[in-house]
Amino acid sequence: MEHFIIQQIKQAKKGDQSAFEDVISFYQGKIFQHCYRMLGNRHEAEDLAQETFIRAYVNIESFDTSRKFSTWLYRIATNLSIDRIRKKKPDYYLDAEIKGTEGLDMYSQLAANGRSLVEEVESLELNDHIQREISGLPPKYRGIIILRYLEEFSLQEISDILNIPLGTVKTRLHRGREALRKRLRHV
Amino acid sequence: MVKCKGEAVKLMHIYLDGDITKEEETALRSHLEECKACQEHFHELKRTVTLLSSTESIQVPEGFSRKVMDRLPEEKRGVRYSR
Repeated sequence: MEHFIIQQIKQAKKGDQSAFEDVISFYQGKIFQHCYRMLGNRHEAEDLAQETFIRAYVNIESFDTSRKFSTWLYRIATNLSIDRIRKKKPDYYLDAEIKGTEGLDMYSQLAANGRSLVEEVESLELNDHIQREISGLPPKYRGIIILRYLEEFSLQEISDILNIPLGTVKTRLHRGREALRKRLRHV
Repeated sequence: MVKCKGEAVKLMHIYLDGDITKEEETALRSHLEECKACQEHFHELKRTVTLLSSTESIQVPEGFSRKVMDRLPEEKRGVRYSR
């Protein structure tokens, strides 16, 4: 299957649009899922996943076939998601301010302002609850947490996907885990 | 000796990333044996990871690939290649 997809990617690079449909079919589940986890909303996720494949098609010339296509695709999807999140709520996610523990305290304050966690757990399925907590993370931590724990990429793969140093991946993962620990401790 | 809590928490994350050395792991373990607060912290971290990994996947909407195909540009312009 993988070999067939690689061939179809090469065909698409040559301008064969129909070959690209096989590429979409092969990756659509993963990319849609990734967008859903990043945005927490089916409708927006579908729109963004479509956008991801359109971008990939339009820019396919620049894809280096010696690299992994999925890495490239996840990068497009993640960057588009982060752009979308930032445009939507420019002041809400506070990621500029979050440094070390002072920032993490802000999460507790946000949680305290809303309904109690017990109420939330009672009213939501566990899945939805976890998704909500993930959606409360600043986008740059959110992407890494999702890639690591929901999509099970290695730290090196995440570094390749996001094109950031391994050390940065680890720092953000560390902070993301701490933030979620506080948010999920009462589940 | 591992100091509470900053140093211990740092080691917990190194552990979760699979980067911990034998010496660091021994140091972390002996600290956890005597520190209730760090034990709790470590438990919560591991539980968070388990909860995240437990989330179920959702299905891609029907007709997705067709919808993308319909939105693709008609033909690629400015692309120089020969068939």
